[in-house]
Amino acid sequence: MLRMTVNGQRRSVNSAPETPLLYVLRNELNVLTPKFGCGLAQCGACSVLLDGAEVRACVTPVAAAAGKEVTTVDGLPARWAKQQGHAPPAAGRLHPVQEAWIEQQVPQCGYCQFGMMIKATELLEHTPQPTDAEIKAAFTTSGPSAHLCRCGSYAAILDGVRHAATLMAKKGGAS
Amino acid sequence: MSEMKLHATSIFGAELSRRGFLAAGGALLVYAGLGSRPAQGAAPAALDPTRGNSWIEIRADNTVQFRTGKCDFGQSSIYTAYPQIIAEELGVPFEAVTSVISGDTDRTPDGGGTFGLLRTNVQNLRKAAAYTREALLAVAAERLGVPKNQLTVQAGVVSGGGRSISYGELVKGQDLKLVIPTRGDMMDFAGLVVDGNPPLRPASSYTVVGKPHKNPSLAPKVSGKTVWACDVKLPGMLHGRVIHPPTLGSTLVRAGTLDSKQYPNVRVVVKGSFLGVVAPDEWQAIQAAQELAATTQWTAWKGLPGSEQLHEHLRHHADYTALPAVKGGASKGDVAAAVAGAAKLHSASYDFPYLKHAPIGPAIATADVRPDGSVTVHTNSQNPQFLRKGIAIMLAVSADQVVIRSYPGSGHYGRSNGGNAGAEDQAVLLSQAVGRPVRLQWMRAEDLQWSTQSSAMVSDIRIALDANGRISGYQGDHYGPPMQDDRLVGALLAGLPTIGAPGAPNEKVPQQGGLFVADRWIYDAVPNVAEAGHATWQIGEHESPLRVGLRDHSMRTPIQFQQNFPRELAISEAAALAGADALQFRLDHLKEPRFRDILARLRAETGWETRPSPAPHAAASGDRAVRGRGVSTLFRDNGYWACAAEVAVTPASGMVTVERVTIVVDPGIVVNPLQLKRQVEAGCLMGVSIALHEAVSFDEGAVTIADWASYPILTMAEMPEVKVVIAPRPEAGIYGQGSETSNALAASAIAGAVFDATGKAPRQLPLRADVVRRMLSA
Repeated sequence: MLRMTVNGQRRSVNSAPETPLLYVLRNELNVLTPKFGCGLAQCGACSVLLDGAEVRACVTPVAAAAGKEVTTVDGLPARWAKQQGHAPPAAGRLHPVQEAWIEQQVPQCGYCQFGMMIKATELLEHTPQPTDAEIKAAFTTSGPSAHLCRCGSYAAILDGVRHAATLMAKKGGAS
Repeated sequence: MSEMKLHATSIFGAELSRRGFLAAGGALLVYAGLGSRPAQGAAPAALDPTRGNSWIEIRADNTVQFRTGKCDFGQSSIYTAYPQIIAEELGVPFEAVTSVISGDTDRTPDGGGTFGLLRTNVQNLRKAAAYTREALLAVAAERLGVPKNQLTVQAGVVSGGGRSISYGELVKGQDLKLVIPTRGDMMDFAGLVVDGNPPLRPASSYTVVGKPHKNPSLAPKVSGKTVWACDVKLPGMLHGRVIHPPTLGSTLVRAGTLDSKQYPNVRVVVKGSFLGVVAPDEWQAIQAAQELAATTQWTAWKGLPGSEQLHEHLRHHADYTALPAVKGGASKGDVAAAVAGAAKLHSASYDFPYLKHAPIGPAIATADVRPDGSVTVHTNSQNPQFLRKGIAIMLAVSADQVVIRSYPGSGHYGRSNGGNAGAEDQAVLLSQAVGRPVRLQWMRAEDLQWSTQSSAMVSDIRIALDANGRISGYQGDHYGPPMQDDRLVGALLAGLPTIGAPGAPNEKVPQQGGLFVADRWIYDAVPNVAEAGHATWQIGEHESPLRVGLRDHSMRTPIQFQQNFPRELAISEAAALAGADALQFRLDHLKEPRFRDILARLRAETGWETRPSPAPHAAASGDRAVRGRGVSTLFRDNGYWACAAEVAVTPASGMVTVERVTIVVDPGIVVNPLQLKRQVEAGCLMGVSIALHEAVSFDEGAVTIADWASYPILTMAEMPEVKVVIAPRPEAGIYGQGSETSNALAASAIAGAVFDATGKAPRQLPLRADVVRRMLSA
């Protein structure tokens, strides 16, 4: 049995160690925001944070997450609250990236956006005020592949990341 | 329950009755009239008011719920434009429309496909809302003792004669039923249509339409609360995977075997050439499918020309005699005479590739076939009632027994507007075989190889110029398959019944007969025009023992994209031949003021420099980047569109970089400027993706693209600056659409810009570096 932290909770996993993390999250742990897109680390729909770094859950064996912290979009509000030194957030409170995604009306169909928000969070945790070029690089060349959006929401994602950076600077400074 | 007619006379043809009084709650519910007939064999129960499938429900707490058989695929119209238009007709605030039920075949009243959302479909709900408002006014007139024509409505409150009452109070304690006239068949491709002519609010009085309301379905998605089609979990559910044949015509010789020690709980399902596995664990199912595929034997098959020979095949070898040619609606005058007398003639042929809808999430469905024969499919479909019909045909059961439940899913861009995206019927076959609910999601490769594709085309364009450099004649002939194959692919593999293939005569299919001229002619000052579509069968379908081959399907701006690309690039080439500026040349051949206005606006927004193409510095060789700009125009769904693209081309490498795209749209009434901007922006980028990257590769038997490396789409780093200019014209009194037209505009403007930059017109897509390099050095 493998143990890991998933969205702030200690979890035990019965799946075979070579099972891709995506199927363990979705089917055994019922964490459903990471989506299956390609199974080839080519699109980013399944992205999660593993100890703060974006990985593709579809090709990451669950054993690689043993003893580590997995964060999905479901866990972003608690992650943000912890980073701010706050108590766990009340239901309905969101991470600034999520707030920005709503404020800027970023998604079209939204299927790829869980991975997009994970990538945005990773970027902003390391680069709080990214340039447009840094944002484009993060979503295109920083990982095993570009994060793909078929609907073409890239311009909205750019707006969303800029807005999230502003929100995080404001809230981070206020706490 | 005895029904009491409230009014002897109908409300503009609708009939209002009070079914009784209630101690608590109360509502007005709106149903389809008996004039509408459910499909033969369809469930009358689906129209039973006791099942709660009202079009619109006015509740005692002043909230409103509506239902539609259409589903949202990201355009947001069902959650933004629809409530806005319904609220407008009812005379309530946007926020009063609190609930939408969409796409469930047992809980929605109308059917029809998710397309043309603001063109045709919303007119149903708009009329239903107008009938509802008039019915509420009739009830209010009775209650207030004031004649109906002296009543006014504002924010859901009826006032007149110094008294007022809210909609909620009107329905409180009442069980009111309004039956509205409808026609059609909910399981037909287009679904039910609301009949009659209730008074509609004039656009000039609109207060809710035109506001930038946010999409209320986004917050639950972004916060992770939404249950997506791929998230559905049923008690006892198993996971399925399918082993598709190695070619589009191979039949099963012998199914392989699985090591029962390694896969003790995996069941193999065989039906004809349909082969699948079902397992309790998803990863196990995936591995078992791979293992089984390795030892399964299929027949060999070749029946496709191969993508390298595709356009040669369409131009010289395909049979265009079996299906009738279709003349374009704008054909007029004597083009042959204009060509014979031309001072200059542009004559060229253009190639458009097969494209994939390529949703990020592959096809997904969870099916539950019960021992009693009932079938429930949980999925995301653009046309759930048509899918319901297809499943019933496949299983040879009454549609009464089939229910489709809809959930948010990955965008389909038209692939499922005839019901299926690919996995739905296969999940049903697997569930039927094992007697348990089965969830089936296609893998990436099969989503690219076994889905339908946007059809390819070749177009021959001739433009005659007179001595003054004006177009004296235009001839456009388009050749290709007629698209829209809605047959269920699992049924084809299993040898089970389906609807007909496209083009098949005497069969009830959405696309019968020929290839339409879908790109409406807009250059109304041109005196002689001849356009025609010439259709051939789907490539490989007749040759395939499975009757599969390259199945075609509508995809955003279907057929129009294929025909607008050659037309608009040819117009830019003809402008150059005439020594004229590409934008001014268009203006010179357009009388329609709405087109003239948006082209003038495009010129202003882009700082367009009026000069002929090619650009003064144009070069077709060298390793220094050369820049160019191009323009395109298109009319679709009551919307007037113009686009300019600016590109940089490096001739030595053939690399095309799209630097800026500007789109001007006059859709008439703008229902929601915020959502329209996002739709246009996103659609434009999908169009840039198609222009730069996309084509389906196939060999003599199979589609050979398998992943995002072999079918690349646009990345964020390649995104040009996109400027969307919305030019409303509310006095047009009509809603234009936004979500798909924008994706057809970029390619022809980009190709025109490459022509401007290099002096050579790329008459084919995509503009991949190797293609452009070859074109420039030819």
